[in-house]
Amino acid sequence: MPAITLTNLTKCYDGNTEPSVDQVSLTVEDGEFMCLLGPSGCGKTTILRMIAGIEHSTSGEIAVDDLVVDSVHQSCFIPPEQRRIGFVFQNYALWPHMTVERNVDFGLRLQKVPAQERKERCLDVMSKLRILEYADRYPSQLSGGQQQRVALARMLAVNPGVLLLDEPLSNLDATLRLEMRAELRRLHQTFGTTIIFVSHDQWEAMTLANTIAVMNKGQLQQIGTPDEIYAEPSNRFVAEFIGNPKINLIKLKESNDKFINLASHILARQPESKFADVCAIRPEEIILTNTANINTLPMVIENIMPTGGSWVIELSFAEDRLFHSTQSRPKWREGDQVNAYLPTPSLHFFDHDEKRLVLSESHLDYSNLLPSSALPNKQNANQIHTNQSYAKQA
Amino acid sequence: MTTLLTAAEQKKPNLWRRARHSFAVARHEPANLIGLVLAIFFAYLILAPVLSILVDSFIVQSGDEARTHQDEGSFTFYYIVRTLYSRISEILIWQPLYNTLAIAASTVVFSMSIGVVLAWLVNRTNMAGRAWFATALIVPFMLPTWTFALAWTTIFKNRTVGGQPGWLESLGITTSNSVAYGYFPIVFILVLHYTPLVILIVGNALRRLDSQMEDSARVLGAPSRTIAFSIVLPLIRPALMSAALLIFADCIGEFAVPYILGLPVRYDTLATGLYRALDTRQNGVAAVIAAVIMIIGVITLLIDVRMMKEARRFVTVGGKGNMDRLRKLGRMRLPASGFAGAFVLIGVVLPLLTLFLSTIMILPGRFTLDNFTLDYWIGSNLDTVALRNGILLTPEFWQAAWNTIVIVGSSSMISGVLGLLVGYAVLRCSFKGVGSFLRQITFLPYLVPGIAFAAAFLSLFAVARGPIPALYGTPLILIIALVAEKMPFASRSGIAAMTQLGKEPEEAARIAGANWFSRMGKIIIPIQAGPLATGILLPFISGIKGVSLFIILAIPSTDVLTTYSLRLLDYNYDQAANAVVLMIALIAWLGTVLIQKISGTGLAQGLEN
Ligand SMILES: Nc1ncnc2c1ncn2[C@@H]1O[C@H](COP(=O)(O)OP(=O)(O)OP(=O)(O)O)[C@@H](O)[C@H]1O
Ligand SMILES: [Mg+2]
Repeated sequence: MPAITLTNLTKCYDGNTEPSVDQVSLTVEDGEFMCLLGPSGCGKTTILRMIAGIEHSTSGEIAVDDLVVDSVHQSCFIPPEQRRIGFVFQNYALWPHMTVERNVDFGLRLQKVPAQERKERCLDVMSKLRILEYADRYPSQLSGGQQQRVALARMLAVNPGVLLLDEPLSNLDATLRLEMRAELRRLHQTFGTTIIFVSHDQWEAMTLANTIAVMNKGQLQQIGTPDEIYAEPSNRFVAEFIGNPKINLIKLKESNDKFINLASHILARQPESKFADVCAIRPEEIILTNTANINTLPMVIENIMPTGGSWVIELSFAEDRLFHSTQSRPKWREGDQVNAYLPTPSLHFFDHDEKRLVLSESHLDYSNLLPSSALPNKQNANQIHTNQSYAKQA
Repeated sequence: MTTLLTAAEQKKPNLWRRARHSFAVARHEPANLIGLVLAIFFAYLILAPVLSILVDSFIVQSGDEARTHQDEGSFTFYYIVRTLYSRISEILIWQPLYNTLAIAASTVVFSMSIGVVLAWLVNRTNMAGRAWFATALIVPFMLPTWTFALAWTTIFKNRTVGGQPGWLESLGITTSNSVAYGYFPIVFILVLHYTPLVILIVGNALRRLDSQMEDSARVLGAPSRTIAFSIVLPLIRPALMSAALLIFADCIGEFAVPYILGLPVRYDTLATGLYRALDTRQNGVAAVIAAVIMIIGVITLLIDVRMMKEARRFVTVGGKGNMDRLRKLGRMRLPASGFAGAFVLIGVVLPLLTLFLSTIMILPGRFTLDNFTLDYWIGSNLDTVALRNGILLTPEFWQAAWNTIVIVGSSSMISGVLGLLVGYAVLRCSFKGVGSFLRQITFLPYLVPGIAFAAAFLSLFAVARGPIPALYGTPLILIIALVAEKMPFASRSGIAAMTQLGKEPEEAARIAGANWFSRMGKIIIPIQAGPLATGILLPFISGIKGVSLFIILAIPSTDVLTTYSLRLLDYNYDQAANAVVLMIALIAWLGTVLIQKISGTGLAQGLEN
C-alpha cells in the first residue's frame, strides 16, 4: 500500500512567478526510506511542508494512505494536526520553554494517553535515542546533535505513520553526522516507519535511502534506487549532480546521422529519432593504458591529486578536461602522455534536450560495420573487458 | 484520483476551484478569523473616533443652531471659518499654534544639544562615575512631566494666581511672570524630561558604531574634529533624526505642563486650547483644533518615514560595539562629571526633594522646625474645609489609586494581549490586505496626540450610538481609550515578538496534533511570557503618568491618581496634590524596576520601540 502519493503536485508561492514545485508525481511505499535530493532552492522543503500540511498546494493532489488530504480539484484540505505525519524541522523547532521530557510527551498528552503508558513510551523512545539522561534539561542546554535527537524523539513518541525529515544532519559536525546516519538507519529498521528525508548531500542520500528522488528547479528529474540513479541517470542534470568527482562530459562535434563519433572514433550507431549531443563517462570507468590502439584516445596527464586511498587524475583531451579516479597508485607522472580507453557500455549519451539516449545492443554493437583490422587487438581487448566488469562489480 | 482532468486543467485549475480550495485551507487557519475580527474591532475603536472628529468639524453641533443659522447636524464651514479666519482665530488657533511650535522646536534644540553631549560623555569617555550616570541620567524620563511642573510652581509661584505662595515669594523674592509661567519654564521642564531620551537613543547608536570606522579615518591622518563631523555625525544622524522627531511629536501633544504653567497667564498651546474649547462646550472648534494637531502629527510621521527610508540606504551602524575605546578626558574629567551631576541635581534631586518638602511643610518656604509636619500624609481631623485627613488616610485617594490600578492595569493587560494577537494575525493571516491594514491602523493613534484622541472618543462615545450605550462617565470609556492609545506600542512589540519567534514552534505543535487553543495556551503564550509581561508593564507605567486622556474622559467617580491630584491642585490643596504625585512617581519607578527584573533587557530597548 502506498503511504504517500503525489499527483502533479505544484506550488507557486504568492508573489513568485516561477513555481517552487512543478508538477511532481511520485509514490512512496509503506516502509520505504526515500530521499529527496537536489540543489539548494529546488523545492525539497516545500514538498515536505505540503505533505505535512503546513503549506497548501497550488494544484495537484496529495494522498496519504489513499486518503486525499490536499486537492484543489476536490477543494479538500486536511490540516496538519489531523494528518498523523511526523515532521522534523531543519532547525529542530524544539519548544524552548519545555524540558526535553515535556517536549517528547507533548504529543502523547494531546492524544490523552494515560499517564502510565505515556511515561513508558517516553522512556522507551528517549532511551532508544540515548537522550534519557537529558530528560530534565531545557533545549538551550543541549548540543546540536542532542537537540536533533530530541526533535526526532518528539515525533517518534507518537508513532506517526510517516516521518518527514528536513536535512536532519546538516547542522552536525562530520563525526556526529556519521553517527546519526547510522542511528537513522537503525531507527528505520526498528520502527519500520516510512521515512522521507531531504538532503542536498548525495553521499548521505546514497548511503541511507532505498529510493532517491532527484529534483531540480521544482521538477522531479528521476526516481530510482541509488544504483539506478548512479548507473542510468535519466538526464544530464542527474548525471552531473550525482557522483564525485563529477561525471565527464564531452561535447560530440563530429557525429553524423549514421554514427556517434568522438575524435574520429566511432562510439555507437546514431539512433533514428534523436541525435546524441553529449557523451559522458564516470571517472572510474575510464581505463588508462600505455599502449595505443584504434579504440584509445591520446591524453595528457595534467594533475594527480591524492584523495586518501584513491587518486584523481586530471586529463586533457583536445580542449576538454577529463577526470579519472582510481584506487591503485598511478604509475604516471604529471605531463605524461597516456592512452585512454572509454568502454562503450560505460558511456552515457544525452540528446539536445539533455535527455538520456537509450541505445539498444544493436546500436552499441557496431563492430560488424568495421573492417576486422580496425578492432582492438584481441588480447588487449580481453584484458580491458575483465577490467571493466571488475569496475562494474565494485 | 484525478486522472479524468485534462493536462491544462491539471496545471492551472480554474478560479472557482482555487477559491474553494483556499477557503478549505483558510478554514483551518484561525489567524484569518482573528485577523478579521481584530480589523473590525480596531476600525471601530481607532478609525471611527478619528473620522468622527474630522466629520464633527463640518457638522453643526447641538446648541450652535442659532449662531450658524442652520439645523443641528447639517453641513457647515462655520467652525473652520471661525477657528481659522475670524476675529478670534488669533486667540483660538494662531497664537496657540505659534506657542506649540515654539515650545516643541526649542525643546528639540536644547534637549538634543545637551543630550548628545551627555550621551557622548557617558558612552565614549572616561568621565568619573560613568556607570552611575548611565542610570541616573535616565531617571527624569521615568517621572511624569508635571512632577517637574508642580515642583516649579512650588518654588516660583507668584501672586498672579491665588492660593499658597511659592517659596521664593514667601522668602521675599518676587518672581516675574515670565520666570514663573509660560514659555520659559515649560521649555525648561520639557528639556529636562526629554534629554534622557536623546541619551538613550543616541547612546545606543554610539555604542553600536563600529570603532574601526573611526580608526580607519585616524589611520588616514584625520584630526578628531574631522572624524567627529564627517564620520561619526553622519553615521548617527538617523538616530539623531528619530530622537528629534519623537520629541517634537510628543511636545505637540504635551498637555499637563502647559496646563499647569501656561493657563495662569493664558499662555495657550494647541493641547490646552483644545481642552479650553471642550470645557466651554465649543465642540466644533475643538474638532478643528484636534484636526490641526493630527495634521501636524501626520506631517511629522511622514518626515520620519522619509528620513528612515533615506537612512536605511547607508545605515551600516552595527559591528563590534564592544571594541569601543574610551576617550581620555584628562583635566576635563571632573568638570564633565560636574556637568552630568548638575543635570541629575536639577532633573531629579531638586524636583523630588522640593515636592517632598512641600508635602511636609505647613506654610511654603518657611524652613523652621515648627513648620514641618506629617499631617498631609497621615494626619487626621485637620482644620481644612474638605480634605480633613492626611492623604494616606483619605478614602478618595485609595479609591483613585484603586481606579488607577483597575483602569490602567486592565487596559494595559488588554492592549498587551491584543498586541500579541495582532502580531499573530499579521504574520499568519492568509490575506495580505488584512495584515497590513492591522499593522497600519494600530499605528494610527501614534499620530494623534492623547488630548485630540480623547476629544475624538468623547465625540463618538459620549452619546449612545446603535447598540453601544453612552459610555461617558463609566470606567469603560477610559479603558477603551487607553487600549486604543497604547496600541501602537503594543502591536509593534507584538509583531516584533512573533517575528522573532517564527512559525516553526507552532507548526511543530500542529504536527504533534495540537488544536488552536492548545497551541496558544501551551506554546505561544508561555514562550512569549517575557515579552508579554514587558508589553503590559511598559504601557502600565506610561498609563499611570498619563494626563490628557483622563482629564477629558474622567469624572470624579472615575478619578485616577493623576486627575485626582490635578483636582486637589484646583482646590489649592498643594501639599496633598504633591503627595499624590510623589506616589505616582514611586509606582512608576517600582514598575520600571520590575520590568528590568523580568526582561533583563533594560529600559533602553523598551523605550526605543
Ligand atoms: N515562503 C516563501 N515565499 C516565497 N518563496 C518561497 C517561500 N519559501 C520558499 N520559497 C522559494 O521556493 C523555492 C524552493 O524553496 P525550498 O525551501 O523548498 O528549497 P529547498 O530545496 O528546501 O532548499 P534548501 O536546500 O536550501 O533548503 C526557493 O526558490 C525559495 O526561494
Ligand atoms: Mg530546505
